[in-house]
Amino acid sequence: MNDGGAEIGNKHEHPNTKRKFGGDDFAQAIAKIAVAQICERVGFQTFQQSALGTLSDIAVQYIHHIGKTANFYANLAGRTKGNAFDILQGLEDLGPAQGFAGASDIDHCLASSGVVREIIKYVNEAQDSPFAYSIPCFPVVKEQNPTPSFFQIGEEPPDEHIPAWLPAFPDPQTYIQFPTENERAPDTHMKKNEPAKQQRKVERSLLNMQQRFACNGQEGPSSVNHGDISKEKFSAESNPFLSAPLHFKEKEVSSMVRPAKLSKEVTVKHPAADARAVSNHISVVETFAPAIEAMKNKLYDSEEEQTKVLLNQRPAVQFKIGVGKNRLGKPIQLDPLNQDCNKIAPWFGKDDEKDEKRRRAEKILKYSTENTQELAQM
Amino acid sequence: MNHNNQQSSDGRHDDDAALTEFLASLMDYTPTIPDELVEHYLAKSGFHCPDVRLTRLVAVATQKFVAEVASDALQQCKARQSAVVKDKRDKQQKDKRLILTMEDLSKALRESGVNVKHQEYFADSPSTGIDPASREE
Repeated sequence: MNDGGAEIGNKHEHPNTKRKFGGDDFAQAIAKIAVAQICERVGFQTFQQSALGTLSDIAVQYIHHIGKTANFYANLAGRTKGNAFDILQGLEDLGPAQGFAGASDIDHCLASSGVVREIIKYVNEAQDSPFAYSIPCFPVVKEQNPTPSFFQIGEEPPDEHIPAWLPAFPDPQTYIQFPTENERAPDTHMKKNEPAKQQRKVERSLLNMQQRFACNGQEGPSSVNHGDISKEKFSAESNPFLSAPLHFKEKEVSSMVRPAKLSKEVTVKHPAADARAVSNHISVVETFAPAIEAMKNKLYDSEEEQTKVLLNQRPAVQFKIGVGKNRLGKPIQLDPLNQDCNKIAPWFGKDDEKDEKRRRAEKILKYSTENTQELAQM
Repeated sequence: MNHNNQQSSDGRHDDDAALTEFLASLMDYTPTIPDELVEHYLAKSGFHCPDVRLTRLVAVATQKFVAEVASDALQQCKARQSAVVKDKRDKQQKDKRLILTMEDLSKALRESGVNVKHQEYFADSPSTGIDPASREE
């Protein structure tokens, strides 16, 4: 939208409106010029483009409305061609908004209508001011050359069900598909996608680096966290979840070779983690995933493979949280993990406990047997 | 469409004569709205008549309508400007120009039964009609 105060000269150059209005833009441009001329005659010096557009639109609507009502009255009288009285009747119909002299008289002759008198008066008063430009006859109806039928060409239709009077088919090379086109299309597509792919690669490598950096950075504080849970202030700066794999390393479980299937899983997971890091959204299910995983593992008992799964899957989750900075999720997750650690620890000590119990039981048994002997002696 | 030919035959003759004379005079009169435009829109509306005088009649009627609306808007503009000038005397030079604005036009059109809502947000700036050099951005 431009305010066309200073551009009266080139107001009929509207490259954008041509596409919008289709074929009617020429007529509308002429209407604008005509209305602008009338306004200038009335006394205006400049105008807002929108005001001129509105007024010219209304003028066009006015003409349209007169034509419609005149046509209606002509048809009402049983004629197809209109005459002056139809137009005058149409003008009278349009009049009531403002009113005209003699409108209250129903039986008046149309020729003596106030509308006519006002128009005559206007024509006599107004100076003759013809349109500024000479206009070619429009709309130009382009003479269309219909495609010749099979009969005109003198060809036989390719199939029996096609009658001869239908337009002939175009030349076969116009609609036969060449194989080269199919090869080209994906090429251009690839070219378009290449920069985006490269960018994505760079981004991924950056994120991987960040992830590694984060893992390395968390080692110290995480060990502190492992020692004392009460030091949560300290662990708030460093992410406590990163400590989880360290537990397992300390417990000497981490020495394993990743199975091919699982390593694939990890590689698949990383882009997902990237996406999550970008969106900064972590769903509840995702935040609890490690905990759920750990619970499952407990159920399966501490078999080597299960712990591997846990270890393999954890880094992705930890990285996600480290970048997403979801502080809320931390305390929730802290408990199950710690519980996990606490519960895992006894597993390794349990054997000793059992042994102790057994030893005690044996001792007692021995003692009792000795005692019975003693008792028997007594 | 002769409603009252019995009542006043003399008057009817006068009116008829005036109308025919007027229509004949339209042959010499060239309205500002070009014939081609009017013919185009009349054809679009379904009205069909080869008579140039009727086309001119419609053109003249439309011209009269537009001129009336424009003069109404001009009065609105002048009234507004006189009110503004009293308030701000330093902006007299800018206000001297007569600008057809949507504000005045919508007021003028309301009288003739057209309800135009002014597009306040994007359509035109108040500095319209002033030389681009003197506009302050």
